[in-house]
Amino acid sequence: MRTSPLHELLAARGATFAERAGAEIAVRFGEVDDEYRAVRSAVGISDFSFATRHRVPEAGLDALETYATGSVAGIRFGRVLHTMAADDDGLVESDLYIANDDENLFVFGESLVDDAATRAALDRAGAFEAGAEDLSASTALIGVDGFRAYAVMKQLFGPDVLGLPYLSIETYDLDGASVKLIRGGKTSEFGYLLLAPAGDAAAIWLRIEEAGAAQGIRPVGAAAHSALRLDGRFFNVHEEGRSVRDPLQLGLQWMIDFGGEACRGLEAIKGRRAAGLAKKIVGVVPADTDGALAVGDAILAGGVKVAEVVTAAFSPTLGGRIGLALFDAAYAYAGLDFAAKGGRGVRTVSMPPITPSSLTVKLDEM
Amino acid sequence: MEAELKRRIDERAEVLRVIKNDLITRLNLPYDPEDLHEDVSLLGSGLGLDSLDALEVILGVEHAFGVKVADDNIAILRSINSIADFVLEDRARRAGEVA
Repeated sequence: MRTSPLHELLAARGATFAERAGAEIAVRFGEVDDEYRAVRSAVGISDFSFATRHRVPEAGLDALETYATGSVAGIRFGRVLHTMAADDDGLVESDLYIANDDENLFVFGESLVDDAATRAALDRAGAFEAGAEDLSASTALIGVDGFRAYAVMKQLFGPDVLGLPYLSIETYDLDGASVKLIRGGKTSEFGYLLLAPAGDAAAIWLRIEEAGAAQGIRPVGAAAHSALRLDGRFFNVHEEGRSVRDPLQLGLQWMIDFGGEACRGLEAIKGRRAAGLAKKIVGVVPADTDGALAVGDAILAGGVKVAEVVTAAFSPTLGGRIGLALFDAAYAYAGLDFAAKGGRGVRTVSMPPITPSSLTVKLDEM
Repeated sequence: MEAELKRRIDERAEVLRVIKNDLITRLNLPYDPEDLHEDVSLLGSGLGLDSLDALEVILGVEHAFGVKVADDNIAILRSINSIADFVLEDRARRAGEVA
């Protein structure tokens, strides 16, 4: 298992660890709901070093066009593309950020497969022949997410950081360490990722904690991020991605350049697209606020099964359970009432059902 | 399918059809209507529309459905479904006023 460069520091913060696709993840540090609330109302710091990280020189552009489903050639300097990599059957394998940082492209992957399989896919696309380098062990990836994350970044990097648009990358110096700062995030609050040398990672984590102390910063684990992604309606490759796999049923067409290069799995995706969509995911909540909702629950219309819950979690913002269900296309609409097992009611909802605090922040207030 | 469920699905499907076609036409999106999941984020990660695109979307919704979107109603731009919710709620409110 690939361990995090931050392992000892995370352990000292009380982390519970688990393995995900061959890499170590910090699942939680305390109460998951408290970690969730820290992001929605203050700021959280997280270790995303489980994600794979590769630097690909400009000469490897064609290789990445073959590897990823999105238009890598269309990424402007300083910007980041949110896209995916598919397997040979056109099923989701990795959720990707690809950043264009002048002479290099940086590929950040949250994958269903281990590092060796990711390297093999990049190798088959020709990335290593073009000079790609695997940074997964030599760097760390630290996330800072939350309503007040921008204030922490402003304190660390200065007011210019507020001008970074969503999905962009910039290089900063932090106490002598070169840090790639990505404005991104998958919580629907302000979000930043810091790519730093592994040897500097612990010192940078401590600097972020110090800068965020006045904002109430606290460590946040993968379990809280699952709930944040779900009620913020960000794709979670580890939850619905793992269950459903088909990017069309998952509603990820926006990650795919249908007219682009012949990337891995594209022909299979196009074949299913031409055949028409038989199922797709829709947000669901129990009809009663304190009702149950669990993965595998069948959803019925007129006594006939029309959907199955593929991911579910407790949302502290909603005060109840929320999930995604894979519906027969004829029933895949928000605003409808259905029955679930045991006579419970289930309602389909527009996602996201919350209004993130960050949406209310105005630039002149930052 | 039960009649009331079918009526609600048909009503929402028609609103979604109009919104999707308008989005694709106005913004020249490289997608078919079936490619646009109703919950896809319009801004940022997702369709990645900018503020000018957002203005186009609002104008399209107001023109297509005869509604008025308040200047500070940014929540409507979260997704295609959030636009549909706004249109259907406005329709229900007006039907209630008439009744």
